[in-house]
Amino acid sequence: MSRDQVLGRVRAALQPVHGATAPQSLGGWPSLPGPQVFTDPVSLFAERARAVGATVDLVASIDEAARQSAAWCATRAVRRAVVWNVASLAPVRDRLMADGIDMISPLLVPTRNWVDAVATADAGITSAEWGIAETGTLVLASGPDQPRLASLLPPAHLVVLRADRILPDLPALFARSDPLPSALTLITGPSRSADIGLVPVFGAHGPMAVAILVVTG
Amino acid sequence: MNQPRPARINMVANTTLALQDADLQGALNHALVRFRRLRTDAAAEVPEWEALRDLAGEIKAHALAYLDVHLTQLESRIVALGGTVHWASDAVEARRIIADLVRTRGVRRVVKSKSMTTEEIHLNSALEAAGVAVVETDLGEYVLQLADEPPSHIIAPTIHKSVAAVSRLFSEKLGAPPLDDPEDLNRVARKALRTEFLAADMGITGVNFAIAETGTLVVVENEGNARLTTTRPRIHVAVMGIEKVLPRLADLGVLLRVLARSATGQRASVYVSMITGPRRPGESDGPEELHLVILDNGRTRLLADPDLRDSLRCIRCGACLNVCPVYERAGGHAYETVYSGPIGSVISPVLVGMPRASDLPFASTLCGACAEVCPVKIDLPRMLLELRARAVRAGFTGWVDRLFARGWTFAMSGPGRLRVVAGLGRLVQRLLVRRGRIERLPYPFAGWTAHRTAPPLAAHAFRDWWRSR
Repeated sequence: MSRDQVLGRVRAALQPVHGATAPQSLGGWPSLPGPQVFTDPVSLFAERARAVGATVDLVASIDEAARQSAAWCATRAVRRAVVWNVASLAPVRDRLMADGIDMISPLLVPTRNWVDAVATADAGITSAEWGIAETGTLVLASGPDQPRLASLLPPAHLVVLRADRILPDLPALFARSDPLPSALTLITGPSRSADIGLVPVFGAHGPMAVAILVVTG
Repeated sequence: MNQPRPARINMVANTTLALQDADLQGALNHALVRFRRLRTDAAAEVPEWEALRDLAGEIKAHALAYLDVHLTQLESRIVALGGTVHWASDAVEARRIIADLVRTRGVRRVVKSKSMTTEEIHLNSALEAAGVAVVETDLGEYVLQLADEPPSHIIAPTIHKSVAAVSRLFSEKLGAPPLDDPEDLNRVARKALRTEFLAADMGITGVNFAIAETGTLVVVENEGNARLTTTRPRIHVAVMGIEKVLPRLADLGVLLRVLARSATGQRASVYVSMITGPRRPGESDGPEELHLVILDNGRTRLLADPDLRDSLRCIRCGACLNVCPVYERAGGHAYETVYSGPIGSVISPVLVGMPRASDLPFASTLCGACAEVCPVKIDLPRMLLELRARAVRAGFTGWVDRLFARGWTFAMSGPGRLRVVAGLGRLVQRLLVRRGRIERLPYPFAGWTAHRTAPPLAAHAFRDWWRSR
């Protein structure tokens, strides 16, 4: 069987490294540095996210975020939006619905038509589990109410992030022991490519625009 | 598949052709100057960069030292999550595994995101032979698939192609109007590929890192095509070499930091997909089936080789290509192997065999730039030297090289011998020196002066001059 063959070759190759017996403990691990300490992680996050082409606005409350979302949708002429069905986004959802925007959510659309529905949306609206200050990165977790395609298929992505969820760096994120979702996605700026003539362009396959609302209150 | 054994790679002939291609020379220089600057700036921003490289190298070395333990842990985690793990000892097996999946699942359309490992196993032609439509979705790889060309760089597969060439290609193959703005060309490809994503039954990706303790597959990219490939089709097949495994989630924090900065000079790549098992109950997207193919295909030969084992640390960032003076002139296609540049010249002689790749270890000036930028500190120049010695011992070098090396050894192994040989040389060179230089050496040494002149031996040896002062 190939499994035994491959593992057999690996063990034979490592025999001189391990000696005659298989390693019982994996001692001597390189110890990893702890998270960095930044004086103002929220400002750093905003600066670094803007540096890669995202827009960042700091808002005092979730109600303020709802107002900003409505304004953002108006300027982009958003008629249909896919939105995560999470409690923290309820004020945003209510506000946009009141504005007459057609809201798609996993609860409303049968799974069979889900992708087709998302493919017609002008915007995807999600929360983010975490932000990473060093790189301006958003961390999105998948789940029944948090479909992956919402941040991927529409041409624009609006993200609501709580300021107290901004971590200094990746070591701080991976030091947490939260169980991993089926897809944890790190997003740093809008989709980009430089494969044609080395000219960077936005919106290679994913969103061309990423707008981040950081809720400070 | 019974294919005739491919001929020996002739790096000298290939490079000679590349040097005559002015477009290629211009494109390579333009791209690599830029990549080098981006990487240097990105590294300079991190004060502890050198310590981070040490750490990244140590993590990979440690992961390799206990590879069997980590691979079996990865397997059991993925199976527990509802995924399937396949083991392939070579390319033939890997192709068969995936072709079987295609057949048994009734797959008709496959989308792929950029993966050097699937290039290595020549997956596309095998799937097409099985009657499946395969579409490369990375913008660069898509261009190359339309042009029917192999990639020429690990990270930027199309650096040899101009905007005008892509425009001509899109007009010819997609019926697009002539466009000279990369943004417009990108929109044409985005639209064409979006249709492919929505229609595909299976998505195939490579793997940048696999986390043993959590069973997580990590795919790094900028475009979003890997996200679409791993989200939309009902089946996701990931193909990884055995060396991609990392023991702990925490290790990823170090390796992602060095990968993005070394590859493209970014602080972080745009998208890092961390996939832990297939779609879970209640979720509306994500693949229903997740398959991981773990590939050996010669890697255990590298693992068993104490001189070359560390080459398996490679995270395929491409930094060594970008700084290599030989790669900058020759381009990726000259190497005729999937992995080009300094890292390719180290692993190819083992992966495809010395009889085919014996030229590659010599395609280096041994300047050491590759070792200086490598984010996992692989000592590439030392490995290239070791492989040169092996090529010589196995008789893969030409008789001129051997004759010259023998003569050199003879002359340099005693002061009397050196004096006699140098004296003979001074006599012979009288026939060759013009205006103080040797402009043309006779056969079989003519190659030395084909593109330059050679300095003559000094009129007097240093020791004679020293004695006479």
